[in-house]
Amino acid sequence: MDYKIDQGGDALKVYISGVLTFDDHERFKSVVKAISDSTSATAEIDLTETKMIDSAGIGMLLLANDRAKKAGKDVRLTGASGHVLKVIQLPKVDEIIPVAS
Amino acid sequence: MVAQPAHTPAPSPVDSDNARILVVDDLRSSRMLIGSVLKSAGFSNIDYAGDGIEALERFEAHEPDIILLDIVMPRMDGFEVSDAIRNRFKSDVPILVQSGVQEAEQRVRAFDMGATDLVSKPINAGELISRLRLHIERRRLIARLQRYQKRMEEELHSAEGMQMSLMKEGPEVDAITQPRQARMETFYRPSYKLGGDLWDVFEIDEHRFGVLMVDLSGHGVSAAINAFRLHMLAERSEADATDPGQWLARLSDELYEILPIEHFATAFYGVFDTRDLSLTFAGAGAPTPVLRRANGNVEHLDASGLIMGCRSNGHYENQRLILQPGDRLCLYSDALYENFDTPDGALSVEELSALIVATMEADAEDGFTIDLIKRVFGSVPESFPDDLTILMLEVLPA
Repeated sequence: MDYKIDQGGDALKVYISGVLTFDDHERFKSVVKAISDSTSATAEIDLTETKMIDSAGIGMLLLANDRAKKAGKDVRLTGASGHVLKVIQLPKVDEIIPVAS
Repeated sequence: MVAQPAHTPAPSPVDSDNARILVVDDLRSSRMLIGSVLKSAGFSNIDYAGDGIEALERFEAHEPDIILLDIVMPRMDGFEVSDAIRNRFKSDVPILVQSGVQEAEQRVRAFDMGATDLVSKPINAGELISRLRLHIERRRLIARLQRYQKRMEEELHSAEGMQMSLMKEGPEVDAITQPRQARMETFYRPSYKLGGDLWDVFEIDEHRFGVLMVDLSGHGVSAAINAFRLHMLAERSEADATDPGQWLARLSDELYEILPIEHFATAFYGVFDTRDLSLTFAGAGAPTPVLRRANGNVEHLDASGLIMGCRSNGHYENQRLILQPGDRLCLYSDALYENFDTPDGALSVEELSALIVATMEADAEDGFTIDLIKRVFGSVPESFPDDLTILMLEVLPA
């Protein structure tokens, strides 16, 4: 996984590319921290360039969401399609983290 | 050739070191000089050999922690000794070869024959002690890591046995399903010793049995620990497991209490009732079950639903199907269709469903699960990238 953080607009944007799996646990901690530390009230995790997410990857998104909530912020997922969208919809992750198309 | 080490500062004696050092040199004066250098540096466990043959005898009698080896010796030279230790005795003991600076070709050959490092000849006391300590420490570190790895492997192995015993064996499954007009085939393989998949079949009453398949997020030790926890929770309430949706909701609430925020489970739970051949089931984000009717029709069941353990009071919808003898239902974990090396190569539900149906129709001698694995992976792989579970339930004639 690679990520890019853009603090330009109203919302903090995090672009995740490649595959988000078990092995990205350490790297993803910096994404979680960036979201918690950000001054924006909303963080968008953009999954347009994300090829695949496994169950551990879903867990990381849940963790980011939880930390953001505790810091009084909202997280939403954007840009998911194909396999990634399925991985989010089948387990109804959208009931926990809002998914914007 | 005997060197005078006097011009280099003698290494200061440190705490005594009982590493066993075998000094091999054909000149008695050289052996004595090296011995005194080693002793003054605190080494107390020194063995000597005067030629290659004697060196191998000493080696066999008591394997040293490190060998200081001369090359040119009568009867058997240092190259042969080094070669024998590596290839005949299969030992990875560090071998320090004494070699003159001028003998470039000899130095290359020494490494080819298994030397670990070179020390200059004539002996330089400071260099000799530094290199000895370096290689002795390195060997101790490796030995520690090997002991640690061995212990971890033994522990994982015994944990693997414990986990496998959570899953019922063929005769136990048959004892539950066959009196209830059904049979099941099962397959479970963790990706690495321990896994986060869990399945179970259990009796509810004389007419009904429950089929549970769970995939805990992640894999390895943490997923396995969660699988044990879930197994315990599930077993405690099997008798009340008549309403799949309610039962999953209850398990989910219990998991929510104990799982860290980033851990969760997907699940399928169904109750088969022989009185009307009904299957009542609920899904919590499980992969799409494939049902092939006896008449050839294929149905994809909806096992989507909120993952378990990530919030309280989740709702799980019950669905109900009436089955017929000869109907076959296949449940599987995501390892069957996911492909992390080439994400675009993952199988779609339609593609996988076609393979499942073809496997059901082929009725291969290997049995359903092995034949399906062969069709999906081309053969039965030594290991899978993720934990794999496959369950196949067939309704039998009355």
